Amino acid sequence: MAVNAAEAAPRDAASGNSIWSRAWQNHAPGYLFLLPWFIGFFGLTIGPIISSFYLSFTNFDLLTPAQWVGTANYERMFTSDRSFAASMRVTFTFVLFSVPLKLAFALGIALLLNRGMKGLPLYRALFYLPSLLGASVAIAILWRQIFAADGLVNDVLAVFGIQGPSWISNPNYSLWTLIVLSVWQFGSPMIIFLAGLRQIPQDMYEAASLDGASKWRQFWKITLPLLTPVVFFNAIIQTIEAFKSFTPAFIISGGTGAPINSTLFYTLYLYNEAFSFFRMGYASALAWFLLFLIACFTAFSFLTSKYWVHYDD
Amino acid sequence: MSIRLGRRQFLMGSSALLAAGAAGIGPAWAQSPLRLIFWGGQARADRTYAVTDLFEGAGNPHVEGEFLAWNDYWPKLATQTAGGTAPDIIQMDYRFIVEYATRNAIAPLDEFVGSTLQLSDFDEDQLEGGKVNGQLYGISLGANSVATLVNQSAFEAIGLAVPDNSWTYEDIATYGEAFLSAGNGMRAMSDGSGSEPMLDNWIRQRGKPLYTPEGKLGPEVDDMVEWFRMWNDFRDKGYIVTAEDQALDNGAVEASMVAMKKAALMPSNSNQLVVHQSINDDTLTIASYPRIAPGVGGGHYRKPSMFFSVGGSSANKEAAAAFINYFINDPEAGKILGVERGIPCSAAVREAIAPTLSEQDQIALNFVANLGDLLGPLPASPPNAAGEIDTSLLRVLSQEVAFGARSAEDAGQFFVDEATAILARAAG
Repeated sequence: MAVNAAEAAPRDAASGNSIWSRAWQNHAPGYLFLLPWFIGFFGLTIGPIISSFYLSFTNFDLLTPAQWVGTANYERMFTSDRSFAASMRVTFTFVLFSVPLKLAFALGIALLLNRGMKGLPLYRALFYLPSLLGASVAIAILWRQIFAADGLVNDVLAVFGIQGPSWISNPNYSLWTLIVLSVWQFGSPMIIFLAGLRQIPQDMYEAASLDGASKWRQFWKITLPLLTPVVFFNAIIQTIEAFKSFTPAFIISGGTGAPINSTLFYTLYLYNEAFSFFRMGYASALAWFLLFLIACFTAFSFLTSKYWVHYDD
Repeated sequence: MSIRLGRRQFLMGSSALLAAGAAGIGPAWAQSPLRLIFWGGQARADRTYAVTDLFEGAGNPHVEGEFLAWNDYWPKLATQTAGGTAPDIIQMDYRFIVEYATRNAIAPLDEFVGSTLQLSDFDEDQLEGGKVNGQLYGISLGANSVATLVNQSAFEAIGLAVPDNSWTYEDIATYGEAFLSAGNGMRAMSDGSGSEPMLDNWIRQRGKPLYTPEGKLGPEVDDMVEWFRMWNDFRDKGYIVTAEDQALDNGAVEASMVAMKKAALMPSNSNQLVVHQSINDDTLTIASYPRIAPGVGGGHYRKPSMFFSVGGSSANKEAAAAFINYFINDPEAGKILGVERGIPCSAAVREAIAPTLSEQDQIALNFVANLGDLLGPLPASPPNAAGEIDTSLLRVLSQEVAFGARSAEDAGQFFVDEATAILARAAG
């Protein structure tokens, strides 16, 4: 009987009426191969996400069991938490400046590279390089050196007789060094812009130049409108990335958001609440609010997209 | 092509997978070695593992060690404790010992004292430091004291006498003028206004603790205003480093004001002379923190630099206590460990290792042994929120004052209000 089990299985399924059992029969090996991913996804991603939602309504310090506190964590965020307000200011400033600057820079370089120059793959790789190094610890440390009082930037300024401040340790400039760092990592939107530019039919430009349109006019009337789906995609991805930015601020300020909380990114504040002060409940609430913020931004982008994104079909 | 898999094959395949997994993990369960976790760098790990090897060589169980940097250590230990998988031997800090002890995350060791744990020649104050509510929860691995790190070469180069344990806050002005007129870019001192140990030492000399035994804030608004004003005065006159320079110090040794040669003096700890000297080509030494007036003492104390505790859920408490006993009492282990974790608390070990110490180690040992009238009583272990008050309040405020975003008067009031609120929130 047992010997026949293996052969019996397909026959059962084939003769079964249920469409589901046949589907299962056909896809079982696939799901089997996916099993490790499913275990990881449900055990390490979905599980913690659900439990963090529960924990966001509790006080939890890891050592003692979580205590239900209702919406107290969320209330605290908006009523009495000065650091939360400071971190929101820093994060919004960062997102509002770094994303448009980075996209503009990426588009500019992509336009330059799209003019059919020699050695394009080399230049493309070189411009992409900063993105590979991007969020690494080494670059954050390098940034500290470049923008220090006696760093590279001030050495260059000194040639012009300008005495620069210590950029990273001055609360007026420290966030800007991080914005510059983010803009410098324009590689991945640039590659996507480059691919988008290749999609634009050349005959449009030919027709336009026959009609006497200047390069500038061609850019505004052909390139940019046809590129809007790519701009849209890049804008959403980069906005989400900017909200989640963590490593550079963590390394450059030594995890404190110094000087004077001027680089206290939302994620950095969340990290400190969770892993420096062991307020897992409050940190979970912060994480859920960040998710809500990003969702709002993305939804807003999608809702407004029909007014400015042109799909050619 | 489609793959067909019968139930039987599926079962066989998956049970084979499970079996393979179990086989891989199996041997680790079988041996049950002692598990040890500590924070520190490679140098500490090398010394620690040399001692665990020695311990094993004497016919004792294997000790499986794990070490992390300070910042990563506490989340990891808290997670393991929450998951019921905390190691048998846990390196513990004065700041956290009450929290862990009151939650039974570490075990009382009184039952082993006199038998497994020999503490007859152990320093009394260090033993006291490891007690919570009268029970012994931690064995001090060394005594430490706060100390001013002194760039001896810089002082000698401009013809100044190197400060000793009698120096005062007034002297900062004298040294400040001397370094300014030398004009070599080095200031007399770093900005200590955001240093919690320095504030603690200063307020103790004024007869108040930083935190009361009940976990309340010691200093009052007037104290804090005076504290910020004093540093403002030093900063305005150029005796200490600028706000921009001080903000470069992110806590790493190489980013400190003495390492960057921006200041000749800075608040530090007796055991950190070694690590600072290792990255500095000038000769360094240590002195006490400044006195608030000549002859006033009582600010310093011999702090247990760190403890070994036994995990509350450990199945091998006796064996863990035996390892701790070996670690603190064995002269050979003592020679390997040196004073890296602070001055050993066993008199016999101190005697055994003295001839083997390096120059910096000797300085540290002599400093901690000869504090004299500077020494005050060991304060109560700080409340849970002390770390938060240090990092998110005192350091931020000191920068706000230094950069001129807040007045000393305002900062003094704000510190007391906010610290009180943080303490209340942590207690509630």
